[in-house]
Amino acid sequence: MTKILLVEDNEMNRDMLSRRLERRGYVVVLAFDGQSGVEAARSQLPDLVLMDMSLPVLDGWEATRRLKADVITAQMPVIALTAHAMSSDREKALEAGCDDYDTKPIDLPRLLEKIEALLLGDKRNLHD
Amino acid sequence: MARKRSVEDIQTYAQDIVDTVREPLLMLDTTLRVRSANRAFYQTFKVSSEETENRLIYELGNGQWDIPDLRTLLEDVVPKSSVFNDFELEHTFPIIGRRIMLLNARKLQAGHHGELLVLAMEDVTERRRSEADLEAIETYAQNIVDTVREPLLILDKTLRVRSGNRAFYQTFKVSLEETEERLIYELGNGQWDIPNLRTLLEDIVPKSSVFNDFELEHDFPAIGRRVMLLNARKLQAGHHGELLVLAMEDVTERRRAEEDVAKAKEAAETANKTKSLFLANMSHELRTPLNAILGYSEMLHEEAVEGQMDALGADLDRITVAGKHLLALINDILDLSKIEAGKMELFLESFDIGEMIDEIATTIRPMVDRNGNTLHIASAPNLGTMHADQIKVRQGLFNLLSNAGKFTQEGTITLDASRQVMDEREWIVFRVADTGIGLSPEQIVKLFQDFTQADASTTRKFGGTGLGLALTRRFCQMMGGDVTVHSVPGEGSVFTLKLPAVVTDGADLLAAAHLDLAHPSEGSETVEPMPTQDCVLVVDDDPVQRDLIQRFLSKAGFCVRTAAGGEAGLRMARLLQPVAITLDVMMPDFDGWSVLAALKADAKLREIPVIMLTMVDDPDRGFTLGAADFATKPVDWERLCQILRKYACPNEPCPVLLIENDGVARATTRSILEREGWKVSEADGAKVGLESMRSERPSLIVLNLSTLEMSGIEFVEHVRQHHEWQSIPIVVVAADELTPEDKERLGSSVEAILYRARNSQEALLEQVRDQVSQGTRMRRGR
Repeated sequence: MTKILLVEDNEMNRDMLSRRLERRGYVVVLAFDGQSGVEAARSQLPDLVLMDMSLPVLDGWEATRRLKADVITAQMPVIALTAHAMSSDREKALEAGCDDYDTKPIDLPRLLEKIEALLLGDKRNLHD
Repeated sequence: MARKRSVEDIQTYAQDIVDTVREPLLMLDTTLRVRSANRAFYQTFKVSSEETENRLIYELGNGQWDIPDLRTLLEDVVPKSSVFNDFELEHTFPIIGRRIMLLNARKLQAGHHGELLVLAMEDVTERRRSEADLEAIETYAQNIVDTVREPLLILDKTLRVRSGNRAFYQTFKVSLEETEERLIYELGNGQWDIPNLRTLLEDIVPKSSVFNDFELEHDFPAIGRRVMLLNARKLQAGHHGELLVLAMEDVTERRRAEEDVAKAKEAAETANKTKSLFLANMSHELRTPLNAILGYSEMLHEEAVEGQMDALGADLDRITVAGKHLLALINDILDLSKIEAGKMELFLESFDIGEMIDEIATTIRPMVDRNGNTLHIASAPNLGTMHADQIKVRQGLFNLLSNAGKFTQEGTITLDASRQVMDEREWIVFRVADTGIGLSPEQIVKLFQDFTQADASTTRKFGGTGLGLALTRRFCQMMGGDVTVHSVPGEGSVFTLKLPAVVTDGADLLAAAHLDLAHPSEGSETVEPMPTQDCVLVVDDDPVQRDLIQRFLSKAGFCVRTAAGGEAGLRMARLLQPVAITLDVMMPDFDGWSVLAALKADAKLREIPVIMLTMVDDPDRGFTLGAADFATKPVDWERLCQILRKYACPNEPCPVLLIENDGVARATTRSILEREGWKVSEADGAKVGLESMRSERPSLIVLNLSTLEMSGIEFVEHVRQHHEWQSIPIVVVAADELTPEDKERLGSSVEAILYRARNSQEALLEQVRDQVSQGTRMRRGR
């Protein structure tokens, strides 16, 4: 069972995306802000993190930096989710250590593709 | 007897003297009878001595001297004093008319003649008249000066006020009495004692005869804080000597108005930015709930399909379609506000054109079908790939196609695409043709404007924001292309979307440069994303030249970035770390040589090869390569290679002697020669060259004529005299045109003379290629 941590403060987005992912067979763990997201990643050890960028308490960029700085969570692929369709945001996300990036509104097939690609890469790395 | 004669002699002598005096003189006795007069008197008053001598002065010439003023003078003043000076008498004399006489008198004790009164009369009529004229002129001048509304002060050399005009007295609320003959600094309780003015009047004015628009801001006690614009002119004013006219224009109001305008402009710009920001934020805020609507409806749709609730599925589909439409509109607004804020970026990638068209056709077909139209795709075969922002190309084509579908009923919509070469550049040309309602010329004019549809009623009838075409055009322009339209009302429209086959970020930069021109306050600090591939930086102030260089360098496959000036060039060089820089020598802000110096002084930029470009007068020649910092001479390499091949020996590698005093040029040439399969031996001068030839006979000599200690020509002559060397071909590289004498001396002893390349884009290309490969090697070496 693939476990995905979704860090998202908007209730509707959280509910919607988590339900759609669950319908496709993923186990979804939720966090509402950056700080709790980092904690959930450490305690739940998901296979992948979907990180909203504009989060309360700790924003997505900083949360990602912390994940990548911690040996326990450093290998977890992080996909940045942001409503800002600007390349500077993309670069900012990649700089913070995100492995990929997707813009809202979520195009589910596209996001799934990215999720699978990262998970596959991850597994391949493990097998190597 | 003798004594009497001598007395007579003296009298005659005195009379002679009196007669030579040109001023009329009368000698009167104490009874005011005329003893004698001089010649000038008789001539001036046209009277004879008979009707003059021994007469009472008042009787002279029919009583013409019986003047009350004269009587007063002679009878009251003269008896009391022995002399009177400059008594002015104005009188109408019967014979000579109205005259002004200046009378001077002196009493003499003339021996036995007793007391005499010498009355001298000077006719000052003319003098008085010219003085009056002069005064009239001065009054006239003063009147003019007074009518000038600008305050004026006339100062003498010592900076004392000669006069001021009415405007001066009114403006500064001072009186004439407290102004004239005062030092300018003393005026109005020292209100003009201003350090800046002192500097101006005491340092600047003495050195120049004029100064213009000196702005003085000062708190004047009587009138408050004012900004005065001072203008001065030195005049040579006849007997007045040198005068300084100081004009003071009160520009306080004007400055205030200018400030207001600047503030208003700033406010407008801020408002515009605020608007763009608002639009961007607003669109963002709108997208968040829309995101949820779309997500949930898609989700429900999936569930409905799985649960086989088809009717529900169709409704949910409608929600999704409407939501996506709304999202598209919001995205358009966001895009446009991004373009306006100068924040739109290009994401360039290479993609297959045919594939893209197929995908667009699949997406658009249902929309086109809705009005009973047929979609026809007619693209040329083997279109291959293009390098552009795929999303924006798609968006543009999608816009054109959906418009065509919207405005056409039961007709045909055709999309064709082709690859064309125009202006030595490859273009991809897309055409969207429909058989719809068409557009009138008036509608075409408005077509590409933001928020404008061809007709206001169109909005109601067909929907849409009216942003689609405006956006499409802006996107195309960002990529260095454009959209044009040709239409006949009632018959249909053809929209042509033209894009470079290889879009470069340079186009983006050009657009940014245009934005900079439009909003200079924003500066040119548009931070571009770092290019992924190594780029050549083109620095040139001339947009045409920049575009030209950019075009053919990018056509040759280089990634090109451009900068419109020296400073921007330096900044971009630091940002981009380009593999090579082409630098225009003549630039206004700071010239190519200074930029070069700055590049070479920067440790991070020092290694980047720089190619200097310089324009020649003849525009047909395009650009000529000047001395490049690294390559020194832009040799026509291709030609050199051809020659080399001609002289290649049967058993490679063939020995070639390269004589070049410039180390960098030597290295460059060496690499070219080696690439062509030669074995190179080098010499940094002609003498060394000759020595090396003694140990190994080269099969070819490449010679730089400007080799220092021995002239290149001498070297050639040396070689030709040596019987073993006579047959070695020599290729001469000359930096400048040779003189006819030099050519003659070289004559048939050299094989070819290569001049630095002119009009050779190829040469530049070679140059850049060469420098880039060299640069890459250097980087790898590090």
